[in-house]
Amino acid sequence: MLTIKGLNSGYGKLQVIFNLDVEAPAKGITVVVGPNGAGKTTLLCSIMGIANVFSGEMFFEGSTLKNQMTHMLAKKGISYVPQMGNVFAELTVMDNLQMAGYLMPKSEIKKKAEQMTEMFPVLKKFIQRKAGTLSGGERRMLAVAMGLMKNPKLMLLDELSTDLAPIIAEKVMSEVARLRDELGITILMVEQMAKRALEIGDTAYLLVSGGVKYAGKAEDLLHNPDLCSMYLGIKQPAHRATAQEPSTKTVLPERSE
Amino acid sequence: MAPWLASGLIYASALSLAAGGITLLYMSTKTFNFAHACMATFGFYVIYSGVVFFGGAPYRYFPLVFIVGALLGVICYYGLNRPLLKRKASDITLMMSTLGYDLILLSIIQMYCDFLTFTYKLSPRRVSMNLHDFEMLGTSAASVILPLLAVVFLTGLHLFLVKTKFGIAMRATIENPVLAGASGINSDKVYMAAWVIGGGMAALGGAAMSMAQTGTPVLGSTTIPFMFAGAILGGLHSLYGGILGGFVVGLTEYVGVFALSQQFGPWIIGYRMAIPLLLMAGTLLIFPRGLAGIPWVSLFQKLTGQKRGVGV
Repeated sequence: MLTIKGLNSGYGKLQVIFNLDVEAPAKGITVVVGPNGAGKTTLLCSIMGIANVFSGEMFFEGSTLKNQMTHMLAKKGISYVPQMGNVFAELTVMDNLQMAGYLMPKSEIKKKAEQMTEMFPVLKKFIQRKAGTLSGGERRMLAVAMGLMKNPKLMLLDELSTDLAPIIAEKVMSEVARLRDELGITILMVEQMAKRALEIGDTAYLLVSGGVKYAGKAEDLLHNPDLCSMYLGIKQPAHRATAQEPSTKTVLPERSE
Repeated sequence: MAPWLASGLIYASALSLAAGGITLLYMSTKTFNFAHACMATFGFYVIYSGVVFFGGAPYRYFPLVFIVGALLGVICYYGLNRPLLKRKASDITLMMSTLGYDLILLSIIQMYCDFLTFTYKLSPRRVSMNLHDFEMLGTSAASVILPLLAVVFLTGLHLFLVKTKFGIAMRATIENPVLAGASGINSDKVYMAAWVIGGGMAALGGAAMSMAQTGTPVLGSTTIPFMFAGAILGGLHSLYGGILGGFVVGLTEYVGVFALSQQFGPWIIGYRMAIPLLLMAGTLLIFPRGLAGIPWVSLFQKLTGQKRGVGV
């Protein structure tokens, strides 16, 4: 389980996240949604030691993640797929996959790379091409493949569906669900494609202005018409919205500054 | 081989090594290494000391030259560069810190020269290393061995960066340190390796340079503008560009001055240092990204009248 308590973080002196508590249950998908500038990416960057953590605690499987070098977190089995700059543009597709599996034995890298090219056949076609020459969608597929290369215990996924064609985005989302169901990987995903992410998710957090607006079951957030329409742009059929019981889950008040 | 061409080849090979080292360090740690000057001078004094105390050809001491340069690079990394990188120091601070390191190294060189002068009655402040050279294939051995050494070393470096797991990890870290870290690559090891290779290249460049120029305690300091000119001409973001830039700057100084003196008279020799710098400025005005930014393939196709094929 990933546990974050009282996190305050940002970049330099700029604070983006305020007193955030997050729990991502083991072998489950925790979805973080919210409008632009809510601090979703900063949350992942804080976990990975990329953003500045001012205060708070972060634990994964009982060991602290605070003040750890990024490569040490990779050694702990944490895999991070960033939204931007998620491939090595100057390296070939094969070299990218090899680097993603840097901590794995050579024989396993080859086997895993083959699995990835089977999952994303377009990568097989361009295996010796520089990643920088791929289209936006192809790059995203490579980034996802790189994230899956490591056999991680915890995956942090930032805006996986960006740049992907709907059919590929759906395939990727199904793959994320499979990672949880078949491999038992704990997943914390930030996603703009909120509806689909909440459908496959177990737990959900709605972040607004660096604080938690909602914490609870993903399904309940998906069926909360007020929050969905106000922050996520998800419009629900009237009968469905009214048919739901009022949510009993944690709906926190707006953070006052 | 004409003496000016032989000296030009030696000097160009030396500058290609030194400029390649500057480029590698800038690409990996964003540090303009001014200490390259004295690291190069250390290279010269290693072969000088070797020849004076143990005899033989200067070339047998080149492996030791690399080791000494690498050691100076490691000291610079752990003593200055790493702590400053951890504090997220600006590029200017990183650059100025190497200037301080360079001054310390220069003092050590001067002390060593004093030691050789007073203890062994040597004259280490003005040395012609080519007096210790021998003839090979009808020309000076340096004009054959040193270009060859540069080619072999740089080919080895290329293979290391392209074929080995750690070499690819170095390229990955240089391009995207955050993603490299998330992949499990320890950037600390990569930066240290860059300083080992960069320092070694500086010392090799200095040692090679002393076979074409008079060796003095300021050998590196007087030639560092040309090392930087080579790196900048190469575009600063491509190791291969830096190596090529160094070679072009070095060769131009000798070949350019010979060609121009034939045309305008020997007075032009006094302005020889201006020639490569003018070349650098002119190239950057036309191609702001330097030699690495020139679309060589399409340029070649234009010149030969070939049509561009459908690329994959």
